[in-house]
Amino acid sequence: MSEPVAVAAASSPQVPLIRVAGVTKRFGGVQALRGVDLEVFPGEVHALLGENGAGKSTLIKILSGVHAYDDGVIEIAGHKVTFDSPAQSRDAGVAVVYQDLSLVESLSVGANLMLGREPRTRLGFVKNRQLMATVGEFLRSHGIPLHPKTPVGALPFAYRQMTEICKALMGDVRVLILDEPTSALTGGEEQILFDAIRAVTARGVGVIYVTHRLNEVFRISQRVTVFRDGANAGTFDTAKTDMKQLVAAIVGSGHAALQARQKTAVGDGAISREPASASAIAEAAADTTVAPVLKLSNVSNDRLRHVDLLLRRGEIHGLAGLIGSGRTEILQTIFGLRSVDAGAIEIDGRARARITPAEAIQLGVALVPEDRHLEGLVLDHSIERNLTLPRLAHFSRWGWLRSQAAVQQARRSMKELSVKAPGPSTAVKFLSGGNQQKVVFAKWNHPRPRVLLLDEPTVGVDVGAREEIYGVVNHAAHAGTGVLVVSSDLDELLRLCDRISIVADGSIVKTVERAELANAEALHHLIQPSRSSIEAQAI
Amino acid sequence: MNESVSPLTSERQASPPQKSRLRRIARALLQGDRPYALYGAFAILLVVFSFASPWFLSIDNFLNIGRQTALVSIIAIGMTFVIIARQIDLSVGSTLALSGMSAALAMTYLGNNWVIGALAGIGTGAIVGAINGIVTTRVNIPSFLVTLGTLSAARGLALMVTTTKPVIIDNDSFIAIFGEGDIFGVPVPIIWTVLAVIAGILLLHYSVFGRQIYAAGGNPTAALYSGINTRRVTTLAFILTGMLAGLAALVLSARSHAARPDVVQGMELDVIASVTLGGCSLFGGRGFVLGTLLGSLIIGTLNNGLVLLGVSSSLQLVIKGVIIVAAVAFTRK
Repeated sequence: MSEPVAVAAASSPQVPLIRVAGVTKRFGGVQALRGVDLEVFPGEVHALLGENGAGKSTLIKILSGVHAYDDGVIEIAGHKVTFDSPAQSRDAGVAVVYQDLSLVESLSVGANLMLGREPRTRLGFVKNRQLMATVGEFLRSHGIPLHPKTPVGALPFAYRQMTEICKALMGDVRVLILDEPTSALTGGEEQILFDAIRAVTARGVGVIYVTHRLNEVFRISQRVTVFRDGANAGTFDTAKTDMKQLVAAIVGSGHAALQARQKTAVGDGAISREPASASAIAEAAADTTVAPVLKLSNVSNDRLRHVDLLLRRGEIHGLAGLIGSGRTEILQTIFGLRSVDAGAIEIDGRARARITPAEAIQLGVALVPEDRHLEGLVLDHSIERNLTLPRLAHFSRWGWLRSQAAVQQARRSMKELSVKAPGPSTAVKFLSGGNQQKVVFAKWNHPRPRVLLLDEPTVGVDVGAREEIYGVVNHAAHAGTGVLVVSSDLDELLRLCDRISIVADGSIVKTVERAELANAEALHHLIQPSRSSIEAQAI
Repeated sequence: MNESVSPLTSERQASPPQKSRLRRIARALLQGDRPYALYGAFAILLVVFSFASPWFLSIDNFLNIGRQTALVSIIAIGMTFVIIARQIDLSVGSTLALSGMSAALAMTYLGNNWVIGALAGIGTGAIVGAINGIVTTRVNIPSFLVTLGTLSAARGLALMVTTTKPVIIDNDSFIAIFGEGDIFGVPVPIIWTVLAVIAGILLLHYSVFGRQIYAAGGNPTAALYSGINTRRVTTLAFILTGMLAGLAALVLSARSHAARPDVVQGMELDVIASVTLGGCSLFGGRGFVLGTLLGSLIIGTLNNGLVLLGVSSSLQLVIKGVIIVAAVAFTRK
């Protein structure tokens, strides 16, 4: 399958698989790319970093044939190419795996991988047995732990993504582009992905790895290129660079927040919160006389088993665990999206057996859901419409909307969270990921919630916006809100939380103080039961 | 576009409210993303027919168009809510027939009073709408199928109650209020259309319910996660449509002095065509009341103009079909 690539890799390792030189692209008045360079050699994993808007996505879209470029050169294996369509890019051996997966959930892994190129009989019927055998052989030879007959809809997210990568690899692929592949994965699942990437590069494929997570760069890549404002901000040998240098390249020198970020962006090693806030919050959280704003006693339902949880005023409490462990379901149950079969939920001292989202909101519970496009926002609608949605009653009298009040509140919230947009009537779909996430946060900014539930609050958000969101969360906790955070980003949990509970199989197995955890490694070991149990779930 | 300068002007907005209020009213009238193409299409239609037929350009003929389109316009206002909520209601024609029978029978057997007729007609529409909404949202059946069912069932009921015979309406005030009266020369069907349009605009663009409808259709999950009871909101949209079908039934039966169980078959297509022509997205979350009215008027004008031009009724259907699809294709991005 990848025979020609392997030959090319062996004969001339010095010819890059793909060479981008001086490529520019302008969208109307916006110069998205000001002449960028990038080279990927066979078998190399080349990380591509940069804030949102730095030009990573634009370059990917050019390489995948979605956009044409204005000026510059793109060469594949030494031959100059221009792509007029995604099909041409695909034929040249460039495959892209986007964040949004393009799988048919009702079909099996095998059917998805061979979609559109199924082996057929002369009458046009699909040779199903042969198809499954081909796919099975492909998966085995790449060391991918998937079964061709499993329906994609039954797979956990990491394995769907793996299916998507395999789909991209079917055929003669020279360059594989991965766009934030780990944004929804937990530690254990990341390892599965990295193993898959290594299996691929061993066959001579070059990988362009786009990410926001700096520590991954050191785990998987050989070289790393940083974009800033549509231009190269540097290319480094991963072995010869460090976190500090990369962060400096991403945000640019002289950036005001650089100092703070360097302190906090450090990977597995020393993660520290600003001392002042840490002590203040820890004090409040440690004080057991402070009444809990949220108490779950022995809560069970279709996904949860005997969950006990205590959240105090001003506390930031993390929920760590694998995807599918029940972290999200705990938040959904508190917010009234799932029924409680047994046990009790107490919000601010008031026990509730049955609760609807509207009642939860009334009691001061706010939820920033996992998937902002699917659950958090109405993308077609304006910022103002999205912001007012959870609290329409506040902006109305006798059921009639006070539109001026709504617009004013929207302006205020946008300013407070520094949402970058022309105005409150801008449709949310035109905003960057970070700004969209800020809008989701702003939905719950006024009045201040008693309980703030966050599900993967910084997925697909660039470094700068992430810092701002951490600021918002810390600020809320300072003001007395109890915060419950679900995150697959262990560094994030360690940075934010006072206490962390480990979730597995729908229950909380352990709760630890932040101080008890030395680093992400320690947390990682707590949430890792065993590889085999994840794989059992997948197959 | 305007918004980019508004943060700077926001303080000054308070002092000269006249201008900004005018602009706000203008914007309210133009609710929606791209109504201009629609206005243009309507204008072209008017010009073409004015030149093509000497009888087209007259007040009488316009009143005629208004009267002819009243039924479709009134129901299409309700359908706008349903379609913005990402649903569809195929049962409106049958609901109209059943409501008309109900109104006429109520006046025959319960008391010959126009109020009784009105309550019975609109109430029947509300009940059919409630059934549509509740079955759709509680049993989780796509509204396409649910209302396909009520399309058949409501028509069957209407035919059953009198074993397919029409019911005569002998109540002068009922006939005057809903069918044949006029105010300053404007026929009441047009008055009712205007009232329905105004109520629709207020409800959709100025009430909390309207916001909830947009959210429920724009992204049902996000609406749910924002504490909106999407089932209730969706059901209310169906009830509203049923009630407006009931109102249309009153207008039709008052004009024909009788309720007949076999009227307006296939009307749902004209209603849905008006709504989509008016800029509503069948994928939900987008649309506006005035667009719907315009859509209905365009279809009505087309009917009227083609008749005046002496086009055969079979060819009329073909032309109408082609123009509707072309217009929708053109007004999309």
